[in-house]
Amino acid sequence: MTPDTSEQNTRLWARPLNWLETKGDAVFAYVLLAPAFLLLAVVAFYPLVRTFEFSLREDAIRSADPFGAFVGLDNYEALLTGEALLPQQFLDLTFETPILQQALFVTLAFAILSVLFETLIGFGQALIIDKEFYGRRWVRVAIIIPYAIPIVIQGMIFYLMFSPRVGFATEFMQSLGLFGSNPLSSTTESFFIVLVADVWKTSAFMALLILAGLQSIDRQLYDVARVTGASPWQRFKYITLPLIAPALLVAMLFRTMDAMRIYGLIDSTAGCQTVPSMSCLVVTAFNESRRWATASAVAFLTAVTIGVIVLVYLIGLRDSESGMT
Amino acid sequence: MNRSESGEKGSGVSRRRFIETTGAAGVALTLAGCGGGGGGGGIQITADQEYADASGAVTDALYDAGLSEDIDVTINAGDFESGQRRSSFISALDAGRSDPDIFMMDSGWTIPFIVRDQLVNLSDELSQDTLDFVQSDYLSSSVQTASDPDSGDLYGLPLFPDYPVMHYRKDLVEEAGYDPEGENWSTEPMSWQEFAEIAADVWDQSGVEYGFTTQAAEYLGLACCTFSETMTSWGGSYFGDHSNLFGPVGDRPITVNEQPVHDTIRMMRSFVNGPDANNTLSGYPKITNTDIFEFTEEDARGPFTGGDAVFMRNWPYAIASTLGADDSPITQETYGTMPLPYGVEEGQGNYEGTGGPAHALGGWHLTINPNSDNVSDAASVLESFANEDVMLTILEEVGNLPPVPSVTANANPDNVGPIGPHLETLAVAGENTVARPVTAVWPDQEAVVAEEVHAAYLGEKSPQGAMSDLEGRLNNFEQG
Repeated sequence: MTPDTSEQNTRLWARPLNWLETKGDAVFAYVLLAPAFLLLAVVAFYPLVRTFEFSLREDAIRSADPFGAFVGLDNYEALLTGEALLPQQFLDLTFETPILQQALFVTLAFAILSVLFETLIGFGQALIIDKEFYGRRWVRVAIIIPYAIPIVIQGMIFYLMFSPRVGFATEFMQSLGLFGSNPLSSTTESFFIVLVADVWKTSAFMALLILAGLQSIDRQLYDVARVTGASPWQRFKYITLPLIAPALLVAMLFRTMDAMRIYGLIDSTAGCQTVPSMSCLVVTAFNESRRWATASAVAFLTAVTIGVIVLVYLIGLRDSESGMT
Repeated sequence: MNRSESGEKGSGVSRRRFIETTGAAGVALTLAGCGGGGGGGGIQITADQEYADASGAVTDALYDAGLSEDIDVTINAGDFESGQRRSSFISALDAGRSDPDIFMMDSGWTIPFIVRDQLVNLSDELSQDTLDFVQSDYLSSSVQTASDPDSGDLYGLPLFPDYPVMHYRKDLVEEAGYDPEGENWSTEPMSWQEFAEIAADVWDQSGVEYGFTTQAAEYLGLACCTFSETMTSWGGSYFGDHSNLFGPVGDRPITVNEQPVHDTIRMMRSFVNGPDANNTLSGYPKITNTDIFEFTEEDARGPFTGGDAVFMRNWPYAIASTLGADDSPITQETYGTMPLPYGVEEGQGNYEGTGGPAHALGGWHLTINPNSDNVSDAASVLESFANEDVMLTILEEVGNLPPVPSVTANANPDNVGPIGPHLETLAVAGENTVARPVTAVWPDQEAVVAEEVHAAYLGEKSPQGAMSDLEGRLNNFEQG
């Protein structure tokens, strides 16, 4: 590179950089955010639009091009009326398909129950490790270990626990009268196995986020409350809960989004044919049935469902933050 | 007045420096991400683990058969479970990946790839001599599942046909007072009732964990194979006469909600729960337990190889796998095989092709990836696989039958490894096969067959209820 060219390049950069230095913080912030938004548009918005576009086409299972003619919203209609040509249904309000064989209900039930239990257990764990006591460091490690285990390994642990010949858990659960002889073949029993596996692993995540919220609370508030005679329950209700609500809601938001996308844990334990979540349905329709348009419609509906739930959380979060001010 | 003039402490990095640094880092990372990639040379085959294990012997045989030594052949292991393998091939082909160059595809799902025009047409790539050899000498039912149903063009080279047989512990059976050789078990099929009575007796006397293992999990092997063949042996069928197996889709009867199919389910439930439980078949004793409802091939083989089962329904690969296992108590002398039992006598079934012993026709083909960088080299590899010595090497090293029946018939049982003593049984099985109803809608249909049959096995639905539901669901796919 000649010195002239180098100087030209420097001048080329100099102008926008000079311009940037004259602008206020808000403009600078937007400039910094621009690449992130651009990336988001490329990796999130564009695929979403294309997925929607694909979902308006016909499945072409007999041709190399998996997309057939434009059919409008027919795929959505079939999915929402239980008439989609798939081994498992997305939604069937006639309930000819059992409720835990309908992907929407399976996913919603899983998300609600897993987030509920993870929040309660995570909260309890966070309250414990927030206290000063001998061996706290080891308790923290013990709580976090399940979260460090890869999903597939965790799935295999639970699969092996209930696997014929190898597992010990089936016999134990049978002796309690809770399970039958083939829990990994039963939709209901497998649903609870997957649920417990997820709660076991992910409560630690909730505990960590809630703990961060707990530790940001000014301890003097508790001292004042004690002096004024507030009971432990009142201290929790009027100090702890309102002050960690934003952190709690953010943690629940993350967990709900994760739970709504559940796939890997199911695939490595009971299998998608036994516990068909929405993501399972996308993979089955895409890979096994090779119905790409229907798979796209399920994927889009999954995104919409998650979007609606996120919106509810964001409204809750806004209210909780405005309530604090 | 800017911040530095006011004396306010900043981060120590100016906006200019920050943008320059992050911009340069971003460009560098992007360029780094664009690098790499690129595949190796030679021909990559994705096949069974057994082929990868025996790759030295198999590739040597290919070179001996005339393959140019300039063509480097690598055999990689694919997923054992057929459905998983299919999914990975669908992904590779739909993504336009150039490797592997050669797929080992299940005869049960090759046709959907052919009708979607996703494979190389071997009729254009192989020599006329090889094509003539395939058409005249290969097992015609295998060739049929490797050809375009409309044009008849060849898209897959059959690698081996597969028929399940009943594997058993000869030592336990003889100790219980039976005489398998005197009664010609190896070539004379017995009824399911006789089989069950013997299995129950030997199980009781031997005290091993299972009298019988099979594959009854909810997976595609249940629909294509274990249920299909047992139902056929009872005189039942998915789509009426067997001439309807390959279509016409939407214009053939659905015949699952009939007595022979219900009896098939009842018999399996008797085997697991005993004849006194609900929806079982009188006179058919308990010979196993509920574990089989989660068993696929390897799950069924595990206890048998370990010496914990008397009888096992499985494919011939289990012979070499069991005898090759270090810790198996079974030896060549104590390993017995026999044709699968039948429900009703041949010809007494409800439909053409049903009744009598039935063995699901399995088998695998070699197909060429159209996105391969070396289609002509891949075709040369396939030419070499169409060679009798290569077939015999595979028979000896891997335990898979030759796709040419005359090669099997002329093989010296003493020279073909552990499968040698079982060739007579396999010949009987090969004469009594039931093909898989492979059409473009079968991948969906087999999933619902597996689901409904499995629900009936578990007792979640009655046989009639499950088959009535299955009838409706199969019809939806037929008309869809």
